[in-house]
Amino acid sequence: MALTDYRADAMRCTRCSYCKWIPFDLVKSHRFSKGCPSIEANSFHSYSAGGRLVTALSLMDGRSEVTDAVVDIAFKCQLCGNCDVACKLCRYDMEPILALRELRAHLVEMDRVPDSYRSLIERTRAGLAGEGKTPAERNAWSAGLGLKDAAAEKVDVVFFAGCKYSLEESLRETVRTQVRVLQASGLSVGFVPESGCCGGLAANMGYRDEAAQAGTRTFEQWAAAGVTTVVTPCADCRHIFKRGSAALGETPEILHTVELVDRLIKDGRLELTTPVPMTVTYHDPCNLGRQGEPYIPWEGVETKIYGQAVIYDPPRPRHNGAQGVYDAPRDVLTAIPGLELVEMERSREAAWCCGAGGACREAFPEYSAATAAERVEEAASTGAGALVSACSRCELNFAEAVAAQAAAGRPGAALQVHDVLELVWRALGNGGEAS
Amino acid sequence: MSGSYAKPTTPAEIAAQSAQISDDAYRALEDIVGAANVSRDPAVLDGYAFQWLAELVRPDQSHYMPRPAAAVLPATTEEVQAVVRLANKYRLKVKPHGTGWYHWSAPLKDEDPTLQLDMRRMGAIVEIDEKNMFAVVEPYVIAAQLQAELIKRGLNLNIPGVGCSSSIVASACAYHGAGPDTYYMGGNSENVLGMEWVTPEGEIVRTGSLGSGDGWFCSEGPGPSVRGICRGTLGSRGGLGVYTKCAVKLAPSFGPTEWEVGGTLPAYRLPIADTQRVYTLAVPDWDAWAEIYYRIYDNEIGYIFHRQFNLAGADLGPAFWLMYNDHTKTLSDVPALVADPEVAALTEELRISFQLILAGRSKDDIELQDKILDAILEEVGGWKVARFCAPDMAEFTNMYLQRLGHKHINFVWAGGYIGSWMQFGTPDWVKGYVPTAIDGLARDAKGGLLVQCGGDAMMGSGSGIPLGGATGLEQFVSYDPDDVDSTKAGILHMEDAIKDAAGIQYPPGKEFLYLQIGWTDEEVWDALAHAKQPQVFHYQRKIKQAFDPNNVGDRMYPTLPEGWAEKK
Repeated sequence: MALTDYRADAMRCTRCSYCKWIPFDLVKSHRFSKGCPSIEANSFHSYSAGGRLVTALSLMDGRSEVTDAVVDIAFKCQLCGNCDVACKLCRYDMEPILALRELRAHLVEMDRVPDSYRSLIERTRAGLAGEGKTPAERNAWSAGLGLKDAAAEKVDVVFFAGCKYSLEESLRETVRTQVRVLQASGLSVGFVPESGCCGGLAANMGYRDEAAQAGTRTFEQWAAAGVTTVVTPCADCRHIFKRGSAALGETPEILHTVELVDRLIKDGRLELTTPVPMTVTYHDPCNLGRQGEPYIPWEGVETKIYGQAVIYDPPRPRHNGAQGVYDAPRDVLTAIPGLELVEMERSREAAWCCGAGGACREAFPEYSAATAAERVEEAASTGAGALVSACSRCELNFAEAVAAQAAAGRPGAALQVHDVLELVWRALGNGGEAS
Repeated sequence: MSGSYAKPTTPAEIAAQSAQISDDAYRALEDIVGAANVSRDPAVLDGYAFQWLAELVRPDQSHYMPRPAAAVLPATTEEVQAVVRLANKYRLKVKPHGTGWYHWSAPLKDEDPTLQLDMRRMGAIVEIDEKNMFAVVEPYVIAAQLQAELIKRGLNLNIPGVGCSSSIVASACAYHGAGPDTYYMGGNSENVLGMEWVTPEGEIVRTGSLGSGDGWFCSEGPGPSVRGICRGTLGSRGGLGVYTKCAVKLAPSFGPTEWEVGGTLPAYRLPIADTQRVYTLAVPDWDAWAEIYYRIYDNEIGYIFHRQFNLAGADLGPAFWLMYNDHTKTLSDVPALVADPEVAALTEELRISFQLILAGRSKDDIELQDKILDAILEEVGGWKVARFCAPDMAEFTNMYLQRLGHKHINFVWAGGYIGSWMQFGTPDWVKGYVPTAIDGLARDAKGGLLVQCGGDAMMGSGSGIPLGGATGLEQFVSYDPDDVDSTKAGILHMEDAIKDAAGIQYPPGKEFLYLQIGWTDEEVWDALAHAKQPQVFHYQRKIKQAFDPNNVGDRMYPTLPEGWAEKK
């Protein structure tokens, strides 16, 4: 695809501004009605999906040039997909998120990117390993877990930790707990020691070739090892693999750990018997929720019926967030005895982003942190003692945001941040302090 | 077949066509609102120049209105005041907008250096007075936000036809605000109780009872009663100063104080309380349509009253709404649904239909309203449309009309829509133009450059005034803004609609407002001179001269030059 392929989307944008809000039917308060972190932080219309379409159109029309402002507009966005959901409340002929990704790729081709991208992508190019660590360093998190080498022996599932879980010390116990939960079900769990980055960060930055290389390499490793099922605790990794596998055809089944654990609980292979007396609220990671729905790649052409009504040949699959992974994590949490799940006002397809996505954590840390702080305040407003999620980047951003809220004396300072499976581990009788 | 817009240009050419702001003025703006809240980057400014409907009025069907000289984001009334005073000093124009939807919310003339005031940093609900049933809001508060807070308190507000995504201040202070709720709650132009207004010279005026320090309870005093001055005939639409707060009158909500919204995106559903009823009603002909409207008015039943679903067209609407309620389906599925015999029968059943939501203070009240409605239906030969009154569609209808959060569906067929007709009057009077409007759209869509959805794509409030009496139907005409030929067909239809109306001795409708934006001043003045009451525009000229001597506002506050009518 090319930017010009989205020209019609821009021409048909009516500047309705739905992309700035959560779906209106779901608005429960003035406070938590906003949907787009980017426009909230930056205010000018250009920082909304509709505004970015106009920015792209203005470039295509030769009305403006790529300035620093354009770079800022294009990249200061988490690609969280709220705009996509809200736009498609009423539209079948627009693909805002795909268009925004195309705008980024277009600017990458021109080498007009945030400065911080250059070192990130160079490290990826050099090692194809996310943040540039050697495989041995990346695998230190797995020491002593008894993970099998999937390239050497057959396993039930291959565990793909992803860069953040592999490399961030603060997430070390979380990722180890994920493996322990799976092992507790009796599954044989392995991994591919040579695994690198999923390519998600490169894709989000707009570096498509690098993202494709990372994805292809990983799928080749799995194919060589005869892997049939891959499970990852990272919503971003799952997202990029799902998109990649959809394009490649026959590949291993890709699951998030909450999806697999949900199955294991429902199949009776995990029995949660130990009460975990906590009140928690669940944050839907963007790439597991609204952007985690089954993805069917499409190629085709626009055509018209009834004179001017726009349709596509073949029919274009509808990706609007309706079929995201919303129930599995909630079913897992509600299966935990003693645990009470309370919902934030913006949940499921209307969830406010954690702030880390779209490479914003790397390129725009202050903006990323402010976005997380907003979510922490929303979580605190529910009265929950813990904010629970299912993605490394969300958990990392939230933990830092809670610390910052505490330092600033703002709401949410007392929140615990957990992964869903950490609470499952406790419910399996493995201790941990309950709030 | 697709008309192309390809028209090569360069950034320099566009910049040369666009009025600029001096460095001095720009620095002064930065001093007022902070450097982060003002921009003159071309890409940022095009975000404001690009507007729906621009392609209908701009040269070469450009989607861009004139580019502002700067975009400004004020955060307080005092900042607005300072910006307006600066505009007077530097002879700039000021164009404020709330959410910024319509071509007239952008600058109107390429040669006028215009400050686009984006009010999104002023988004507070200042007050909700439950006892006295009013709320005070800033310009970027949208109806969905305020309604969400009101429902918790057993209150509600009129949400105009533009939908809950739009600014309350905009509809109450600066334009017209009728919608499905207006029948029960009144329109926003009536419901406005007081305004905080930064005049074009930069004075802060507080109107109504607010102006005497007595709070927001009354629009006309004690205190300065300038509602008529500010609003003029239709609302100043950004042409006469900036409204920075307003109070609006509220209504009881009757339903639950917490909405348990269900359904699946995009067709959310709102459960129906036992004191509510949600109906899609149909009648055999337009005489019966007018009659049932009168009888609903006369019997004072109903809470939300609207002809909504016909916006998708009488031929395609039922299939479209059934498709919309299945999240796996797309517009590609509509033809198969249209061909389904059951849907075809439903299409005929729904051909002249509308929606009515009843709300009672008690079960006895709602049962009485139900009985009255049944009697009315029997008398006029109408019926409840069973498929659309079934729980799934009724809950969808309830959600749709209570929140009005899907108004962007106006654009669903092709990305572009224009409203023609919408002349406002008694049901009998409206009935008088319906056949012409239907025939006109069918004729203009025949060539395939407009969406062929049936000649009747007419939608409108059950009543545009409280308790009934006057209604209007807007013809929804869908065109493809990415296709220049289709866009031109849209323009042709608007011109045809004006001629069609004249042919049956009706005044021009909504299309007239849209088209005027592209006219020269002289053409606008000629049109105003032929209005039914041209003296209004002479009066407004005197107001404009008094409040805006430096001509900071644009012509969206319409005036006639002295002697113009006589000259013509």
